[in-house]
Amino acid sequence: MKVESLLSFTCPVKMNSGNKVLEGLPFELAGLNAAKPLILASPNDTPPKAIKILLSAFGDSKMTFGLFDGIDEAEDLGTIEYLKNICQKDRYDALIALGGRAADAAKVLNMTVSYKLPDARLLTAETTINKPLGPLVVAITAGATGLETSSLAHFGNRVYRSEYLAPSLAVIDPRLAVSQDAAAMACSGLAAFARAVEAHGAVPENPFRRAYSFAAIRFILENLPAAVSNPGNRKAALAVANAAAMSGCALADGGNTGLHKIGQAFSGTGRGPAGMIMAMALPYMLNDYKVNGGFDLAALLHPLADDDTFAKTPESERADAATDIANRFVSGLQKTAGKALPRTLKETGLPGYLLEDLLETLDAGPDGARLCSVARRMWDGVSPDAKKG
Amino acid sequence: MARVREISSGRKPLKRAYVAMFLWFTGRAIQAAAKADNQVKSEFEALPENFTFSLGCLPDGPWMVVGKKNGVVKYLGGKLPEKQHVRLAIKNLDAGFLILSFQESTALATTRNRLVTDGEVPYALAVIRILDIVEVYLLPKIIASLAVKRYPKHWSVARKLKGRIAIYTRALLGL
Amino acid sequence: MLLPDYYEFCCRVKLIAGHDALEKIPELLAAKGARKPLIITDKGVAGAGLVDIVSRAAGKLDPNLVNDSVPPDSDLKVVHELAKLYQENACDALIAVGGGSVMDTAKGVNIVVSENATDLMAFSGVGALKRPLKPLVAVPTTAGTGSEVTQVAVIKDHDKHLKMAFGSYFLLPDIAILDSRMTLTMPPFITAMTGMDAMSHAVEACYCLQKNPLSDAHALAAVSLLYAYLPQAVNNPSDRDARLSMAIGACLAGMAFSNSMVGLVHNLGHATGSVCGVPHGLCMAILLPYGLEYNLHKREEAIAGLLLSMAGPHIYKETPEEQRAQKVISLIRKLNDDLHAKTGGRHARSLSEVKDRDGKPAVPREALPQIAQAALLDGASVYNPEETDYEDNLMVLEAAWEGKPLDRAKVKKG
Repeated sequence: MKVESLLSFTCPVKMNSGNKVLEGLPFELAGLNAAKPLILASPNDTPPKAIKILLSAFGDSKMTFGLFDGIDEAEDLGTIEYLKNICQKDRYDALIALGGRAADAAKVLNMTVSYKLPDARLLTAETTINKPLGPLVVAITAGATGLETSSLAHFGNRVYRSEYLAPSLAVIDPRLAVSQDAAAMACSGLAAFARAVEAHGAVPENPFRRAYSFAAIRFILENLPAAVSNPGNRKAALAVANAAAMSGCALADGGNTGLHKIGQAFSGTGRGPAGMIMAMALPYMLNDYKVNGGFDLAALLHPLADDDTFAKTPESERADAATDIANRFVSGLQKTAGKALPRTLKETGLPGYLLEDLLETLDAGPDGARLCSVARRMWDGVSPDAKKG
Repeated sequence: MARVREISSGRKPLKRAYVAMFLWFTGRAIQAAAKADNQVKSEFEALPENFTFSLGCLPDGPWMVVGKKNGVVKYLGGKLPEKQHVRLAIKNLDAGFLILSFQESTALATTRNRLVTDGEVPYALAVIRILDIVEVYLLPKIIASLAVKRYPKHWSVARKLKGRIAIYTRALLGL
Repeated sequence: MLLPDYYEFCCRVKLIAGHDALEKIPELLAAKGARKPLIITDKGVAGAGLVDIVSRAAGKLDPNLVNDSVPPDSDLKVVHELAKLYQENACDALIAVGGGSVMDTAKGVNIVVSENATDLMAFSGVGALKRPLKPLVAVPTTAGTGSEVTQVAVIKDHDKHLKMAFGSYFLLPDIAILDSRMTLTMPPFITAMTGMDAMSHAVEACYCLQKNPLSDAHALAAVSLLYAYLPQAVNNPSDRDARLSMAIGACLAGMAFSNSMVGLVHNLGHATGSVCGVPHGLCMAILLPYGLEYNLHKREEAIAGLLLSMAGPHIYKETPEEQRAQKVISLIRKLNDDLHAKTGGRHARSLSEVKDRDGKPAVPREALPQIAQAALLDGASVYNPEETDYEDNLMVLEAAWEGKPLDRAKVKKG
């Protein structure tokens, strides 16, 4: 392979997946030199019984731990300040986040505690994060955002980014991966799918990143439909949760992350989860890559198709075949999910003036113009090919 | 606003009792197999005098300890000795339950990172081979063939049958 | 993609690859708050001028803090001497430049200096380390061992004839630098066998019992790079892209096998190495086809799955499904044949072809029973899909000695 510039990759996350994974937590924590973890959970964001399952996993461990189940929508640094003081006073030495929202809060709390900030409210997006933080474990739940394992923390209106924010361990247990919410399952899987697709085709190619995105894409294709039609299907749900965790690891620094950016920008408006938005944007984004380049569409065919199909497709047809599979997969799920997965921004009830505001935010980055054009096409869903001319 | 609650981990008395009982039985079965089965016998003969090993759950048991003294293999109870040659530590009680309720064989559990092995590798391998043979004796074929990589087809019916009866009887009577 | 009932995967190492990756070292050390690294290497690496390249690239390095005393086999005394040097000079990081033994030594030194250990033995085994060690930068100079991404180290106490093994995620280097300049001068014979070492990691990762989706994905990527670029690197040693691709492939293979573990090939290879002193990579090259043949009945699908990564879409498509696994095995044999031809016969294809320094056969047939016995003491057997006992080992070794395909009818299938 040709490596023009430097190629780098880090995934600090250890991944444990499968039967009775949670029961392994006391052992894993001991390996991280932690004896008294604080569990953060958001009751609105985690499947019922999840907290109970997690607590009972510690049975017979003789451990003492803390539980805070009040991580909520508000995402307020005051809560972090309160938790920081408790951590210091009661000597909690590790954090366990149950679910995506708690993971974001835990990363911010971890920063505050590890850097001994006098007050959490002093945190800004510019706060330098350049030293390892304390042990953080994320438990991946049904409806995972996929960002739990990433080096990003979205909190309030801020985005923090550092490899040190990523957790030390992600635990993926089937009991937490199943749910009753098909729509949430679909969104979680589609977010993983979109991010993994973008990570896989990103240029320059990076084989380390691609190992994660390859596995994530295959898991989603093979399991998401089954998991959506029955979110209680342990095997399928576990595979989707695995893909979510892997997609967070594959999320590239810089490179092609247009779908991720669009997803974050629009989901911030409360018009739906990032996965739904990213699924909506996917065909337009892929089309943009086809027209404007800067992305390796052909490389996507191998994870998207089985080995036989990939081998049979001539090189010149791979990009189109890959795009076609990805688009059909997404639209198939949209069809099944009906209203839960609208195909246009208009259908989400987003007011037009808000779209303009969001376009401004998107426009800020170097790929701004392209993202804006994608977002405009998402508005009314006119086929990108028809509009192109 | 929600507050932090401090919680102590619960207990799992039933699982603990089950695991303890099966560890006890396995320990006595190893003692019995060392007399009744030639292969187990020769594995133990190759091990040094005063060889001791244990199998059990982290963080604090239950455990079973088997040792060799004056050439005789004995189940030494459930208390971890200060020094031992090999310790097979199952990472938690629930994994111990999976293994000792034969949902996962020792070999499978090892490859699933459920166990931590302490001690010199050749000794640890001998212990795993001994456990494999004992599993074949203790379990019906259908379960044992899942539990070990290669179910010993080449064993004679006599070895299986006689061995099984001898090991069960000896284990229960503690001979 | 298969999802096992349970798996774990971890590789925390920050990976930097490129033709000028070494130049990143000062910045990376600074990000870790380190300014005074101790460079550990061996005489071969230093003699080849590789440390000079690192020194130049990494900015001004104190020549007193470059030490090339690592022997071909890691040694406890050297570990303690280097630790003393580190402490006396108040160093704050380690840079290991070399192959497996240098990496192991550096990991050992890191335990001593980070834990202030007087007795390294106290930290042997799995799980004895509880906290991060000092920053360790690994710069591999062979594309083979993958030890820049493994969490184990073996240190030998030559006085007491003890081999201490250490296992912990904290032993993983913080940073691995893959730079094509480190392997450009490696002669074809060494390139061939270290490359096959990496290949054996990737291939065994695909069939061993602890395999999982992430080890699989890394292994497949590794196989595709190694198979494509090993002949190129042997043919044209100064091909920078081939060299870097090999380094990346070996690293991916290391990530795969350290999570999936290895089986029969390594089991018999370790034993052959210790009984007859055959270089590890050569053992791997010779035994790899046999590991595949021996486990074929249990892992046919996984082995067939390697064909696409190895040979590309065209050959994959042309090969009927039921012949794909067999095709993989014959391609590995063909690769060994080619490497044999290109190295003037130094790359042996069978155990009987291996020569010692005086040109005499290194593995006499009479040694095979001893090797088969020694293999029973090696932990890799645990992770092999099919059971192996003394007779199984001997049967495989005999076939590998003769260089004939394994008679698969004789494999006892469980």
